[in-house]
Amino acid sequence: MKRNVAIVGGGQTYHRARRHDVDQAEMVNEAVRAALKDAGMTMDEMDMVVLGNMEFFEGTHMTDCWLVHATGAYGRQGLKITTGGTVGATVVCAGAHLVASGLCDRVLCIGFEKQEEGDTGAILSGVANPLWGRSMAGAAVGYFAMMGSSYMAAWGAKEEHSAMVAVKARQNARKNKYAHLKLDITVEDVLNSRMLAWPIRMLDMCPASNGACAVILADDKTAKDRCRKPVWIRAMETAHNEQFELDWRDVKTKRPIFSKVCAGRIYGRLGVSDPKTYFDVFEIYEPATWAELVWYEDLGLCGPGEGFRLIEEGKTNIDGPIPVNPSGGVLSTNCIGASAMLRVWEAALQIRGDAGGHQVPKEVRRALTTAYGGTNWTVMIALSGALDD
Amino acid sequence: MTARETEWISIPMTVDVPYRFAAGRYLTKTLTQLRDNGRIFAVECPRCRRIQLPPRIVCAQCHVRNGRWVELPLEGTLVAFTIMFLPLTDPTTGKPHEPPFVYGSVRLDGCDSVLDHLIHAEPDRGKVWVGMRCRVVLRPPGERVGDLSDIVHFEPLPDQSRPGS
Amino acid sequence: MNERVAIVGVAQSRFAPRRPEVNYAELAYEVISRVLEETGLSLPGDIDNAVSCSHDIWDGQTISDIGITDVIGGHLRTEEKMAMDGSTAVFYGAAGILSGEYSCTLLLAHTKMSQTNRNIVNNVAFDPIYTRMLGFDYTSAAALQARRYLYKYGLKREDFARVVVKNLRNALLNPCAWNGREVTVSEVLSSPPVAPPIHRLDMAPDTDGAVAMILASEERARAITDRPVWILGMGTSYDAHYLGDRDLADVKALREAAARAYAMAGIRNPRRDVDLVEVGEEFSYQELLWIEGLGLCGRGEAARLTASGATAVGGSIPVNPSGGLLSGVPINVAGLNRVAEAVIQLRGEAGERQVKGAQVAVAQGHSGFCGQHQCVVVLGT
Repeated sequence: MKRNVAIVGGGQTYHRARRHDVDQAEMVNEAVRAALKDAGMTMDEMDMVVLGNMEFFEGTHMTDCWLVHATGAYGRQGLKITTGGTVGATVVCAGAHLVASGLCDRVLCIGFEKQEEGDTGAILSGVANPLWGRSMAGAAVGYFAMMGSSYMAAWGAKEEHSAMVAVKARQNARKNKYAHLKLDITVEDVLNSRMLAWPIRMLDMCPASNGACAVILADDKTAKDRCRKPVWIRAMETAHNEQFELDWRDVKTKRPIFSKVCAGRIYGRLGVSDPKTYFDVFEIYEPATWAELVWYEDLGLCGPGEGFRLIEEGKTNIDGPIPVNPSGGVLSTNCIGASAMLRVWEAALQIRGDAGGHQVPKEVRRALTTAYGGTNWTVMIALSGALDD
Repeated sequence: MTARETEWISIPMTVDVPYRFAAGRYLTKTLTQLRDNGRIFAVECPRCRRIQLPPRIVCAQCHVRNGRWVELPLEGTLVAFTIMFLPLTDPTTGKPHEPPFVYGSVRLDGCDSVLDHLIHAEPDRGKVWVGMRCRVVLRPPGERVGDLSDIVHFEPLPDQSRPGS
Repeated sequence: MNERVAIVGVAQSRFAPRRPEVNYAELAYEVISRVLEETGLSLPGDIDNAVSCSHDIWDGQTISDIGITDVIGGHLRTEEKMAMDGSTAVFYGAAGILSGEYSCTLLLAHTKMSQTNRNIVNNVAFDPIYTRMLGFDYTSAAALQARRYLYKYGLKREDFARVVVKNLRNALLNPCAWNGREVTVSEVLSSPPVAPPIHRLDMAPDTDGAVAMILASEERARAITDRPVWILGMGTSYDAHYLGDRDLADVKALREAAARAYAMAGIRNPRRDVDLVEVGEEFSYQELLWIEGLGLCGRGEAARLTASGATAVGGSIPVNPSGGLLSGVPINVAGLNRVAEAVIQLRGEAGERQVKGAQVAVAQGHSGFCGQHQCVVVLGT
């Protein structure tokens, strides 16, 4: 990038299943105000506003136009970007491009979803091609169920292992005041929860949340003059996957996989040889428990077929050597359009040392975030607390 | 102020958007053959030779236009499956598939793609397995309409048992 | 801008009321394959970024850029979708190149208006709590704007009709356009009323089509083509959502977007410095409003400018020599088509509709009803 880009502020809503007290605009505005307050800036200092959410999830076409007062975009430059579940991270990439280009010095990035106002299951079935597969679409649950059954058949993992991921997420969420599902649960509770699509149970899946996140990106000068603890964007990579070939559920596939390809590229950019020691914390986009185990392997935190050993040994716990999703992750909070941005913001909070109750108990200099959406798409963003680190 | 339940107004609304989708140059051939002759056609990439179903204009790996048509047999292998306990709504009809049912990915012999569909098997983990051989069950000729519902489901081939059982 | 971004290739599909023989991926491939052929570039090696413009609700598919991932070269690579007018793809694509992250970017806008119902789609762009249930769509909202504009400046429907006459005549000279014809002012006035003062011939017709474009850094552009068209300036802005919060005869967002684009391009006097303009007139009156917003004449003066013949192809400031949206261009594709037409003019390849000696062009696109979001791109040779 031609100019350095820093996260100089951010904020989020208290994520909930029900937010009848606010409309979409008021909810988005909560995150915008929180981000401006955190950065110590005013809306007038923002050169541009970039908004993302799942198109039409709440039954409104062009939410950027409706929410123009809540986002602060009225009278200002602005764009609306949508890339499915990855959109929160894509919006951060867009903001980083705008700052690095010199077109803007400060960009407000916003992601949100008010899932209770639409029918997420039905709309997600619409991801399938209308003439090939939509009538049979198993939505996200069916897809991750096949991933789980494939993972178990391939590596000998048990349903208990996915349950451990579910427990870790919700126990971490209890430490995060903004998280949605703060559940004091055990592996047994997960295994006793309602079966949705074997081997996926209710507690193996992310919730439908209402919430928003906003981050403010800025150039070098703003970061140095105005921000006590800037967090720098060090590298960004995106990999989408073709429309009809969804190999991720087949964990032994030999074809190139979006997640491994993307991780390989971002590690190459940064010269990372051992990601589990290079990065101090990971915030990954795991809509289902099994996906977290597969992410461990795809990110190179362990070898193929060893992901379930990592969770079994507690390596990815908040106080473990490779903390993954100390925030509680997507399994605890999924306001889709905000979810990928929350990964970035939560990682920035860890680097700043401002995560509060869920701060990782070790020095955090570098973090890696992932996004997930579409037909196996990802965006990865690497952050650090110092430009020379 | 005395405590009083606050009333929050929320407005129910259904948005009904009608569509008429063009199948296009590639899928029209496959859907027509399926409807009229009960045959399944895929396309082959001229460069990597990957046989793709549904057929599509470009091989995403090679960035070249797909060429030769290949007829596939109506038998294949189950590569992944789940037992659905959720009544999934079929958005093309608005009606639910009644749970529990088996839902899986089948690779038709010779094809590189898999096809996700209903598997007409007992929803019992002991009776469905990865590697199970299946065949396509079509709607009777004359009742086919030219979309994927012309395939009713896959059914397991007879005389096979789960490995190791 | 310290660095420059060039447009090195454009391709437009056959526009038609219905393209039943192609799905939207095949429609997109029609223009992608042509723009690659024209520039001699190939996927994946020569292109390092892709930006598309469309909307899920128009495409009838959730996350609808899934449908064009294969054809745009998105597999295991990047592609981002602007859920806005096509002009914004140029803005965002150029930002990616200026950032240093990318050097060559493929842009795509596609929409098949024939596959759904514009009134329903447009209605759900209104906020769900307050204005949607009044039954608004873009046409009825535009009627309010048109009426307000007529009233504020003492205009007549004849003033709007002259835009239709000019643009449909220009369209006869544009091989991509399908709606070109000779009409008279009285034929426009007597066409069936839709939402008066808007009548049938005042409206851009439903159309299927796609446009692709390639942007490149200065270094890459020099290697790809000997006739690059440079992006000199870009600007965007949002107006208020609720119609009651705007003066509909004003064009605040467009004035702001234009001011930003002109400042970047170093244009102090657009009336003197701009050789031609392509604007997105979904309705005839919008051409008049937009050229006022672009500062090409004073407020309320665009009708007189048009009546004088100044905006005709041979006039002093030709507007929509392509025939504009009235000639038959899909919504969403509209803004990328404006930029593409400006590029064709600046390359001197516009054939019979060529504006002689064109060196600086302005293209305008907008999203939302009554032009809520505006995007202005200034281009030069």
